[in-house]
Amino acid sequence: MFNIEFSGEFAAFFVFSAIMISGAVLMISLDKVVHMVVSMAAAFLGLAGMFVLLEAEFVAFVQVLIYAGAVSILMIFGIMMTKHQQGEREPVKPLHETLAAVGTLCLFGLLFYAIRSTAFPEPQPFQAAEDNTMAIGQLLYTGYVIPFELLSVLLTVAFIGAIVLAKKEAD
Amino acid sequence: MLPSYLTMAAILFCIGLYGALVKRNAVVVLLSVELMLNAVNLNLVAFSKYGVVPSLTGQIFSLFTITVAAAEAAIGVAILIALFRLRGTVNVDEFDKMRR
Amino acid sequence: MEMYSQAAWLIPLFPLAAFLVLTALGRSFRRAGVFIGSIGSLAAFALSLLIVIDRLGANAVDYNYAFDWIRIGDYTLRIGFEVTNLTAMMLVVVTLVSFLVNVYSAGYMKNDERITVFYGYVALFTFSMLGLVLSDNLLSLYIFWELVGVCSFLLVGFWYSKPKARAAAKKAFIVTRIGDAGLLIGILLLFWYMPNHALDFTTIQSVFDGQTGAITTGITTLIALLIFLGAVGKSGQFPLHVWLPDAMEGPTPISALIHAATMVAAGVFLIARTYDIFQDSAAAMETVAYVGGFTAIFAATVALAQNDIKRILAYSTVSQLGYMMMALGLHSLTGGIFHLFTHAFFKALLFLGAGSIIHAVHTQNINEMGGLGSKMRVTAWTFAIGALALSGIPPFSGFWSKDMILTAALETNPLLFVVGLAGAFCTALYMSRLFFLVFMGKPKSAAAGAHESPATMTFPLIVLAVLAIIAGFVETPWNGWFGSWLSGEPEDAHGSGVVIIASIAVGLLGIYLGWLVYGKGSVSRTVIAERLPWLVKLLERSYYVDELYAAVIVKPLKAIGAALSVFDEYVVGGVVRVAGAATSSVGRLSARLQNGQVQTYSLAAVIGFVIIVVAIVGRRFLP
Repeated sequence: MFNIEFSGEFAAFFVFSAIMISGAVLMISLDKVVHMVVSMAAAFLGLAGMFVLLEAEFVAFVQVLIYAGAVSILMIFGIMMTKHQQGEREPVKPLHETLAAVGTLCLFGLLFYAIRSTAFPEPQPFQAAEDNTMAIGQLLYTGYVIPFELLSVLLTVAFIGAIVLAKKEAD
Repeated sequence: MLPSYLTMAAILFCIGLYGALVKRNAVVVLLSVELMLNAVNLNLVAFSKYGVVPSLTGQIFSLFTITVAAAEAAIGVAILIALFRLRGTVNVDEFDKMRR
Repeated sequence: MEMYSQAAWLIPLFPLAAFLVLTALGRSFRRAGVFIGSIGSLAAFALSLLIVIDRLGANAVDYNYAFDWIRIGDYTLRIGFEVTNLTAMMLVVVTLVSFLVNVYSAGYMKNDERITVFYGYVALFTFSMLGLVLSDNLLSLYIFWELVGVCSFLLVGFWYSKPKARAAAKKAFIVTRIGDAGLLIGILLLFWYMPNHALDFTTIQSVFDGQTGAITTGITTLIALLIFLGAVGKSGQFPLHVWLPDAMEGPTPISALIHAATMVAAGVFLIARTYDIFQDSAAAMETVAYVGGFTAIFAATVALAQNDIKRILAYSTVSQLGYMMMALGLHSLTGGIFHLFTHAFFKALLFLGAGSIIHAVHTQNINEMGGLGSKMRVTAWTFAIGALALSGIPPFSGFWSKDMILTAALETNPLLFVVGLAGAFCTALYMSRLFFLVFMGKPKSAAAGAHESPATMTFPLIVLAVLAIIAGFVETPWNGWFGSWLSGEPEDAHGSGVVIIASIAVGLLGIYLGWLVYGKGSVSRTVIAERLPWLVKLLERSYYVDELYAAVIVKPLKAIGAALSVFDEYVVGGVVRVAGAATSSVGRLSARLQNGQVQTYSLAAVIGFVIIVVAIVGRRFLP
């Protein structure tokens, strides 16, 4: 089941997944919010590396740019604009936390079982394009132009909405 | 290799879910949601390479997801700031208006 | 020629209109209520009188008008009205007594704040009673029969703030209901067995009179007995007589109208109307005769020991109705109806007189009265006439009718003749006791401030007194006019010296004994009470019939009711309570879930999702 030959891809995968999992777990377990965001950024970067492994260079690039860059910065701004008592240890809700842990573990068990018990057919060899970015760009402006335009509308709306929401009432 | 990527995505997703369910700080909840979205992206891209019919569509979709996630993050932080002005806290526990 | 008979359907409409107007007016028009009620019944009386005068000729033809009411398949139910000499006579009796009671109530009920309601009820009752009399088939008769029962209930319970009146109204309704159920079953049986399911009296008469054999004797007896059960309930015959004395809780004019002259006579009228069925069954006739005879002597003895003036009269009514039943059972339709006719007048007179007395002294206990004769001359004289008529002293009307019944009894059943004579003796005795205690002797506590009642109350007394004197002459041993008019067949004079002499003798003996004991006082009143205290007690409590019913019927029923209510409380109610508690605790639990925190909701969603997936996936591992 786990008889995976130690190729270069596997080694890289192992490294990236280690980065991601540790980043994610640290994000959950750290006390300070800023530290959480930083560890989260590490996880995002690990994911970007994984995208490179999957021959999706453009997506990896976007991942670094948007997640590790923009979203993390946004979150840090969010933290700065709101007040955070350092080290406040909230009144624990043991039942809630236990149930959440059990629920997510069960969910993971199910997913893992599903993944393990599925026989994935041997894929056709992936013809990675010469220029991944150009291929994606062509697809975006031909086959997926309508979703693309809709997304731009969505982004505009979100942009305006965010300004309106965050604006001070007095203004 | 595909099962490994999928398992990795499942791990990420479950960690994100746990964080979204348990953390009290709204910013951290938002971060956890982003993590879950990332897990989905990983799935999409993994299938884009190792799926039965490999194609770029998976990558395109992950791009869309990233865009939407960015918009969501922006709106989420904006809502957080507005809420913080209103209630003076970003503690999820204290947002229980729905009870009434 | 029969113009007035054709208009007979108008008669019930006058009181009905009065009832509707009175109901619409409400309680404020107090004087108007009296006038509207009285005019309604007066108009009905006038028309009834015209009909009777119209029919006085020797061979008036029965008038019947009916229309299709319900069509079910090929069966058609027709209803309508029928005017025969019997119904014409009943119409006059009902409307006349009703009119007089209306006039009388203007004085008696003067200070009651619900007098308009009272007049409305009386008008409704008059309408129902007239409808009952005019009905040409058993079904509509039954409808009106129930309607008079409702009116009786309303009027007995008229002073519903008194607990006793409420109880009496309920009792009257429930006890008569037993009889009504019998009557209904009888009607249904008749409907089942009659050719073409006809229920009108004309067809019934032809079917049973012609001895066509369409219905077997056993069924005939059953139907007759069931109809008789209805009459027993309504006419207060033993064993369903218990409601009538209690019904005296109602206003006294009501006792005169409903519980003496009209409604209680409806049972007798019913049997007279379906007489052909009874004549087909010797067993039913005998039952009627014996029940009537027993009731007559039974109620008369009870009346001897009562102290409430109205209860004495009530038991007297029961007893006299027993006489009528006995006459019917002894094949003397004329005797029964004749006694109904005379009894209506003199018993209404006695009740109204009693009402006048009660109005003056504000008590119903005859031991607290006395010496009223000089203070209330009109009441005393008219009451005396009524008492003499009831006691069967010639030439008052009661003598002639009772004489006719006794003659019929002597001819067919000597035992019942003796019973009748004994009853007549008791009647004379209790009436003289009543009269002497109330009007003679020294005034007692309550009689001190008594004075004569107003003219609205004495006028009906005088009218009824005149009728109580002369009503008997329509049928005497030498003159069978009433009988032949009623039955349409010539009847021979039926004089019997023995009966006349015996009847007069027991009547006079009773009165003399009463005078000795209660008037002159030469015989101690307590002599019997000292010797036979149990007998007096027995009579005072009317043979403990009420107590017997309470022990045998009411208590077990109440015990069953209590058991059922315990069952309901703890088993049915327990289940309901448990269900309710379970629901509310589930609700409380889920309300705790609704703490307004999104994370709790999403946690619940995750767990639910996991459970669903596990359930779906888990099926794979099931065999």
